[in-house]
Amino acid sequence: MTGFRSLLAASLTALGLLLSPSLGLAQQYDPGDEPGLIADDSYALPSQWRRQMVFFRTNEPPGTIIVQTSERYLYLVQGNGRALRYGIGVGREGFQWQGLLRISRKAEWPDWVPPAEMIERQPYLPRFMAGGPGNPLGARALYLGATIYRIHGTNRPDTIGTAVSSGCFRLVNADVTDLYDRVPVGTKVVVRQRPEL
Amino acid sequence: MLKRTFRTGLAIGLAVATAIAAAAITYERYDTKTLKRTIRRDAVLCGVNTGLPGFSIPDEKGNWTGFDVDFCRAVAAAIFDDPSKVTFVALDANDRFKELQSRKVDILSRNSTWSMARETNYDLYFPAVAYYDGAGFMIPASRNIDSALDLDGSKVCVQDGTTTKMHVADFFRTNNLKYEEVKEPKLDEVVKAYQSGRCNAISADVSQLYALRLNLGKPADHVILPDLISKEPLAPVVRQRDDDWMMIVKWTMYAMINAEELGITSKNIDQALKSTKPDVMRLVGTESNYGEQLGLPRDWAARIIRHVGNYGEVYERNVGSESKLGIPRGINQLWNAGGIQYAPPIR
Repeated sequence: MTGFRSLLAASLTALGLLLSPSLGLAQQYDPGDEPGLIADDSYALPSQWRRQMVFFRTNEPPGTIIVQTSERYLYLVQGNGRALRYGIGVGREGFQWQGLLRISRKAEWPDWVPPAEMIERQPYLPRFMAGGPGNPLGARALYLGATIYRIHGTNRPDTIGTAVSSGCFRLVNADVTDLYDRVPVGTKVVVRQRPEL
Repeated sequence: MLKRTFRTGLAIGLAVATAIAAAAITYERYDTKTLKRTIRRDAVLCGVNTGLPGFSIPDEKGNWTGFDVDFCRAVAAAIFDDPSKVTFVALDANDRFKELQSRKVDILSRNSTWSMARETNYDLYFPAVAYYDGAGFMIPASRNIDSALDLDGSKVCVQDGTTTKMHVADFFRTNNLKYEEVKEPKLDEVVKAYQSGRCNAISADVSQLYALRLNLGKPADHVILPDLISKEPLAPVVRQRDDDWMMIVKWTMYAMINAEELGITSKNIDQALKSTKPDVMRLVGTESNYGEQLGLPRDWAARIIRHVGNYGEVYERNVGSESKLGIPRGINQLWNAGGIQYAPPIR
């Protein structure tokens, strides 16, 4: 029993370490969050961030999601040396993490309950916001394991290609809807970071 | 007596002449002094394409930019700690290899495909692949196809007399697909044929297709398929039998690729110089002295990264997401991030 407990504690610690962004305590305005702003659907994504089929070599099976944060791209592995590539916005400096997770839940027009960590940093955020066009989570959300992180849409399509979020990955609403329809709950998600010096 | 002196003189004269001739031939054939001559000249002589968007192109003031240009700047940075010490020599495709052989340039960095015949026929050496290119297809986005295997029944525009034409024929035959060939003698005529709808696919090297797409009315209405149907490994070229110079060129390329893999960029190079990670320390020269064996200073790789950047930075700036071309990294991504770019370690 003790053995199991210490094993559990060790694995939880390990998981915690794996997913630990250095949580700055400074209260900081997050330029990526603008609750209430209605997404501008006419916004044309710069061509390099548009959804595109690309060459991608990997041993991960088709259907796996690979996020390469330093590139600002999310890849959905198709097999046969190719992947569907989406432009994303990623966590800002200090809010980047890497690891292996699975999609634990999917939601359309999700409600937003900013996690306690985020409220602590950005006390001006609402405690709850119902899903809809003004919601920073956008049209769809894919929940990653039991973490506070998600792959979600956005009401700020102009932040694609930047590092502004609190560790989530944001896609424009059309892209997150497309991805949502292609991946089931249980999909493997690999998050890769640039190595540290 | 006199006769003997004459004979001896003749013999000595012949011997000297032979020695000089032999020395000249040896020098010609086994010239191992490119680095010395480059240092004396205070500039790298770099043979580039006369003008190819993203790879090498001069502006109106004669400043060269591009992926191939940056590679020569990297070599200059390693040697001189100054990326501007390069003299660019624009060479056309026909005599590029002869110009290299005749020492008009130290390096050819001119989107040249590495092939066996080119190394053996011209006595040249391609030290490391800079860019994996290959023939591919561009199609109207409205066709809604994302694989070359779905091109059955297409009308394909190609330039006559190119290897692309042959690769297209091979691809369709190997995959048991039908197609109709629409060939034109010149590239701009090929593009016109595509624009006028005489064909619904166009084939050329993928890097070229991205450049061609820029000039189409609405670039976003055309997609370039991710498939490569031929191998066109583009690499810098040097003369054979100058191993010291070849090593500098080869390890300049590998230093840039390793820098990307280790996360070292032109922006964080100062931080990297303080790193305690062994791989990082060996590359930037804070541990051991790998530059010395190349005839370069200890910080040779740090100079490259500081002045020019790592492989990914050079790629994105010139041909990738930060450029007009917007070519996805694709096969040129690092081996551990979806591509095949792989550099041996510095240790």
